[in-house]
Amino acid sequence: MVFDSLSSPIIGTVTPLDILVFGIAVLVTVIIARIVAIYLKKALGDRVDPTELDKLVKVIQAVIVIIGVYAALPSFDIQLADMLVVGGTLGLVAAFASQRIVSNLGSGLFVIAERPMKPGDNVAIGSVSGTVEQIQVLSTIIKTYEGVYVRVPNEKVFNSEIINYVANVARRFEYTIGISYGSDAEAAIRIIESLLKAHPFVLAHPAPSVFVEELADSSVKIRVFIWAPSRVWWSVRTEMLWEIKKALDEAGIEIPFPQRVVTIAEGARVEVAHAPAEEGDR
Amino acid sequence: MFGRHSIPFRLEDSGISIETRRNEKFTIYERISPYERVEKRLGFTEGFLTINPVEPVNLPQEITGAVEFHFTPIAVMPLSEVEVFLTFPVETGVFSGTGDNFTLIDVFSLAQPKYSLYGSPERGIITRHVETGVSNDVPTVNPLEEGVLSLRIRNAGRDWVWVSRAVFESSSLRIFYGPHAAMSAEMVVYSRLLGETWVSKTPPAKGMQEALRVYQTRRSLIPEKPSYLMEYGVGD
Repeated sequence: MVFDSLSSPIIGTVTPLDILVFGIAVLVTVIIARIVAIYLKKALGDRVDPTELDKLVKVIQAVIVIIGVYAALPSFDIQLADMLVVGGTLGLVAAFASQRIVSNLGSGLFVIAERPMKPGDNVAIGSVSGTVEQIQVLSTIIKTYEGVYVRVPNEKVFNSEIINYVANVARRFEYTIGISYGSDAEAAIRIIESLLKAHPFVLAHPAPSVFVEELADSSVKIRVFIWAPSRVWWSVRTEMLWEIKKALDEAGIEIPFPQRVVTIAEGARVEVAHAPAEEGDR
Repeated sequence: MFGRHSIPFRLEDSGISIETRRNEKFTIYERISPYERVEKRLGFTEGFLTINPVEPVNLPQEITGAVEFHFTPIAVMPLSEVEVFLTFPVETGVFSGTGDNFTLIDVFSLAQPKYSLYGSPERGIITRHVETGVSNDVPTVNPLEEGVLSLRIRNAGRDWVWVSRAVFESSSLRIFYGPHAAMSAEMVVYSRLLGETWVSKTPPAKGMQEALRVYQTRRSLIPEKPSYLMEYGVGD
């Protein structure tokens, strides 16, 4: 009785039994794909870059699932040519029904092809800044520097300005350090240059540059340009600034507060008028 | 200090001391350098540790896979070759294990590390920067601080070339050790802008032993590059 109901066609010649067989076949394929993924991660985990391994595993899983689905199709008694026609029609219907999704999908494909960033890169996409976790077909996952998960639709990624801070292997950053007019600027430059020379990640080429940039109101402005490997530039930036401050302090070179010198002409008198006290203050 | 040492042992050289002590379950590994003290627990009490020079790209942290030598420019005649001796900074690795299955326990150096950029920021590579003098013969070095690279430069082009840079892929570095660390390498210069370098797999001198490499401990599936193509020039 149950078998009869399972064997009676519900859509064309397709029976519930066909759907059940297809479902079991796909399920088995997915389980096989997961087992293969676990095996691959165990075997290759310490030999292949994690992001590359992730891609490799996903491709292999997709191939296994596609083979599984293809192998299970005969249970529907469906020809591949029919599938293409039906799939094409359904695709058009789906495209009209879900323009946003299709737009995200198209943008995602362009983003993947153009490769303005890759997982692990530090980027700013519009107002979102952080590390790229994943670039998916519909969206890009960013982990902000505060550790917050942000999903950015690929349409927005595609239309936004993308700043990739680590796309180039090296990057430059700069400081402006003000020293007092009474301090020796040449000595300050020598001290800063020796610190830059001693730091391993301040690149030897392109060489750092230290020079007096401006004779400003309250200080002599010394400009420092440093090139560092993109992977470590932030730590170099924070370390060097404090090292420079400490070294200048030790050498007695003053980093002044904003100040203004007021000269009072000889013989001039300054009168300070006091307002009469209120009744209540007495 | 270089060589294989049975546990327990104590070594001292050039201000660096390395000691291994046994307790019931572990071996305590302790290294004291001028500005650093490292202590580690090893999960065995019998055996040995191997100490030898390794690829100089590990300190203070690994950020590149290339070493760039900078030296006084040498003019090389068309279709001729010269051999020079350069020095390179020694990083010393401490390994545990045998055969192909070994692991890095510690790495240290007396040399001050410095990095550089070879090529442009967009397309170039970060390199370990080595500023070296040029010698006609094997220079005298402190074995824990410097090693010797014998470099044969061949100008395969039709023009004179000034050579002052040589870049090597760190995975291809084969360091040998005896009284000091040594490598022998070749460089073919095709033009002012293009050269190719590789390191020989044979010992530079008799009696030298091949050093274990940090690269091998990663068991990378990416094949080693036998040579490096210098596409951003061989001079300054």
